[in-house]
Amino acid sequence: MNQVGRDFPRLEVRAKVTGRAEYTHHLRLPGMLYGKVFRSTVPHGRILHIDTEAARKLPGVHRVITGEDIKKLIPEPYYGPAFHDQPILALEKVRHVGEPVAVVLASDPHVAEQGVQLISAEYEELPAVYDEVQAMKPDILVHEVLKPAGTFADLKHLKDRGGTNVALDYHLRRGDVDGALAKADHVIEHTFKTQQCLHVAFEPFVSVADPGDSKLTIYTANQSPSFVRIEIARLFGWPENRVRVKVPYVGGGFGGKLYIKLEALVAALAMLVRRPVKIALTMEEQFYVITKHPTTFRIKSGVTKDGRIIARSCEVHWNGGAYADIGPRVAQKSGFTAAGPYDIDNVSVDSYEMYTNRTPAGALRCFGIPQLVWAYESHTDLIAREIGMDPVEFRHKNLLRNGRPQASGTILKDAAIPEVFQALVKRMNWDAPFDRGAGILRRGRGIAIALKAVISPTTSVAVINISADGSITLFTGSVDMGQGSDTAYALIVGEVLGVPAEDVRVVHSDTDVTPYDMGTLGSRSFYHMGNAVRLAAEDARGKLRALATEAGLPEGTNYPPVEIFKKRYGMQAGNVIGTATFLPTYSPPDAQGLSSNVTPFWMVGGAGAEVEVDTETGHVRVLRLVNAADCGKPINPAVARTQLSGAAIMQLGFTLSEAMHLDGGQVTNASLADYKIPGMADIPPIECELVTAEQHNGPFGAKGLGESGTFGVSPAIANAIHDAVGVRIMELPITAEAVLRALRAKEGRPLDDE
Amino acid sequence: MIPFDMVEPTSLQEAIALLDPEDGSVRPVAGGTALMLMMKAGVFQPSRLVCLHRIEPSYARIAIKDGGALQIGAMATLSQLEYDVNVGKHFPVLKRTLRTLSNPRVRNVARVGGALAHGDPHMDLPPVLAALGARITIASRKGNRELPLEQLYAGYYETVLNKDELITTVTVPALDGRKAAYIKVTSRTADDWPALGVAVSFAVKNGAIHDPVVVVSAATEKVTRMANAERLLQGRAAEDAALNRAGDAAADEASIHSDAHGTAAYKRELLRVCLRRAVRKALSADAEVRP
Repeated sequence: MNQVGRDFPRLEVRAKVTGRAEYTHHLRLPGMLYGKVFRSTVPHGRILHIDTEAARKLPGVHRVITGEDIKKLIPEPYYGPAFHDQPILALEKVRHVGEPVAVVLASDPHVAEQGVQLISAEYEELPAVYDEVQAMKPDILVHEVLKPAGTFADLKHLKDRGGTNVALDYHLRRGDVDGALAKADHVIEHTFKTQQCLHVAFEPFVSVADPGDSKLTIYTANQSPSFVRIEIARLFGWPENRVRVKVPYVGGGFGGKLYIKLEALVAALAMLVRRPVKIALTMEEQFYVITKHPTTFRIKSGVTKDGRIIARSCEVHWNGGAYADIGPRVAQKSGFTAAGPYDIDNVSVDSYEMYTNRTPAGALRCFGIPQLVWAYESHTDLIAREIGMDPVEFRHKNLLRNGRPQASGTILKDAAIPEVFQALVKRMNWDAPFDRGAGILRRGRGIAIALKAVISPTTSVAVINISADGSITLFTGSVDMGQGSDTAYALIVGEVLGVPAEDVRVVHSDTDVTPYDMGTLGSRSFYHMGNAVRLAAEDARGKLRALATEAGLPEGTNYPPVEIFKKRYGMQAGNVIGTATFLPTYSPPDAQGLSSNVTPFWMVGGAGAEVEVDTETGHVRVLRLVNAADCGKPINPAVARTQLSGAAIMQLGFTLSEAMHLDGGQVTNASLADYKIPGMADIPPIECELVTAEQHNGPFGAKGLGESGTFGVSPAIANAIHDAVGVRIMELPITAEAVLRALRAKEGRPLDDE
Repeated sequence: MIPFDMVEPTSLQEAIALLDPEDGSVRPVAGGTALMLMMKAGVFQPSRLVCLHRIEPSYARIAIKDGGALQIGAMATLSQLEYDVNVGKHFPVLKRTLRTLSNPRVRNVARVGGALAHGDPHMDLPPVLAALGARITIASRKGNRELPLEQLYAGYYETVLNKDELITTVTVPALDGRKAAYIKVTSRTADDWPALGVAVSFAVKNGAIHDPVVVVSAATEKVTRMANAERLLQGRAAEDAALNRAGDAAADEASIHSDAHGTAAYKRELLRVCLRRAVRKALSADAEVRP
């Protein structure tokens, strides 16, 4: 039976719906202490004094730890994937409201919490900067010096510089943008903005550290256990094998649980007190850990009168908050696709990752792509309107096709851009008459399409063990956080080794036994780890055949594995271990930001929306949302569709309702009562279309898909609103008030500001 | 969470005796849906909670009295009210309101008395019951007193209840053919706290609005009647011009501030529109009545 291509339910569904699935939140170790975090109340300040006296005296409090205590254990207690800029607990300065300043440890978490309320701190407040464009002025510096981490291959070029809030600036220069703009019939420029948002995983951040004899075990809800091991070992000056990182199921990650979050803190605390330590954050505390970048994107295009885009310049400022986290990768990786999925000869991109005094920003389901698509697909629609061309026809004319160079110079291959676009147009019935409504309720429709490259170069290693009875175990560092990676790999193993996927056992991340993986992120896992798993399975298959030959069995016979082992070892004994490492080829960008081989595969996704606008209140109802994506050859179509719809729902929240509000550096809506994610009643009918193509170097022709469903949602809705009522929203989220204000301004009777 | 006492009296009199007229950290708890959130957020730290679950079950009864008045025991859950046959038949506006009030988990637990006494202006029952002319009975050591519901609210999260007083009963007069509707507007997601609530009730005489009650919530710091808007509706047919004049009057009259749900200017605009829509909804609601 073919395994690949089956509509196969996820392996863990029974365990999850019966409450038996293992999560870090369930873990309790003997002698374990709970840590509760005392956080900064000022956005930028010098720490003058931390008064922990009253907390220490509270009955039941084991210890109170500050940054200075950590420093005695780890002299340089700074971590981060791009820069070593983030202290385990604040040292000398605090750089955002909510930054961890001290921890109270107690056997009872409620006592620890009470202890936190007894701590006070005194700060010398410093001027703060919150806006990503204002941060370009170096008069307020978030960091005096920057220490590049040098960990990841794609971020080796980060510089050790001072006197700036720019963590990374990426520049791409292709052709002659100024010359082409001068020749263009229309030059059109807009500025778009996006807001600060949150991942809101069902499972908030949680980590446990257990100090053993000359080793340390960390149990954590984390998407990148190999990085955690490397980084914790570096902080302690240990070899990797003294740190063991175990990750059970993760209750949603979306990029939030990448790299180090609570792991360095629990590790340091556990080593200081020599007892297991657990920190589990509340929903509310998540607002002070990691967020999605707010952006300002200035985009300018030169267009000929027959509708060809001949030049585009893009200037993007990313608001990275107080610590870089993975923001520099966001600014660079997303930067080179900032001009969109269009065939444009002259492109310039300037992409700036900025430090500000906000909660740090990192990866959130697409590493910055939705912020870019919001701007370039809104802009593309506006150009079509200005030159009087149908937005579908205008895009058709300019779409990038396989065989043509993308802005980076890499020749596009296996990217089904026209096919995805065509699928959308067809599903949306674009050429059929459309009921535009009347009176108060007006209807419109919009469309958007986008392109993303995968993070590169990155490595995945897989190990397969065939036991002597023929049963198969796969060891992988991929983290299954609900996306169905266990199931996908089981299908691959089953396909190669000729067994049903349900019989393959997948061992979750445990760095003592599972091999290296760069991380479960950016839709990279299925392609990279999937290839490694396939190669490891082929390696095991080859070794099993060799074992049969050694056992004197004739070539090509189909003895079951158990018979081969018995024949070779005289009893049910032995193992066959297959292993493989996958690392695609890559060329880093040159001084012009160009590369001939910038990504091993491309993701293509688009959305179409039909909306109804209440012209008296500004409320927008999405009547229909169509989502299409290039998924190569889907390994498991049932799961692929839920990945697309889940991504669309998430982006719908970022489009219409989600925003962190800031007042003087304070988040004023840090709870789910006031930060509004979509509920069931907000979710429109979503149609998902898997556009089947072939990714020539993907495992069985497939490619990553976890993010593609987010790409087009925001601009498709904004374009549909424009189509319905003739107003353009330039900033996310598109609230009812924003729409009504735009309508009233257009009618010449604007609403008062307050 | 800091330790506290939890007592479970078995009678109303015992419960009242356990309350403390002077101490704000002693509080009654009915369904606890609001109070638990405040405790979790550290906004409220009780020294003693007086749990009302075990008092006489008669305080959870819902009944239609002679003359058609609805009597609701304060300990009735919101879903009891939602699914009560008589409520659905005689007070359809209440049933419709409850369908979008929070979610079934909350409605199964939250109590009518708690929903009124909490004093949060964003809640749905207070404006609707006030528009229906509900009266509440309040018990204390000194005996019982009665109050029109609209007079319960003194400010943001503030009521005129003393710390040792409990609401025991809500009495809603028979509709007697009056029309009623409630519109809640959320500005972010459907399950958000409202940016604005507008409840209306009125009689129709010779095709004109008679004896209207207009109540605004959520956008204002407390549930508030709109006297000027009511005056402008009195005796008028439900035509756009009259409804818009009343909407303008309400927008001028209501004290509205900017918050996370929207600016004051936007909420005033919503009030203009929704007052008109509420009157129209009340007039067309007959068609929606289901037993």
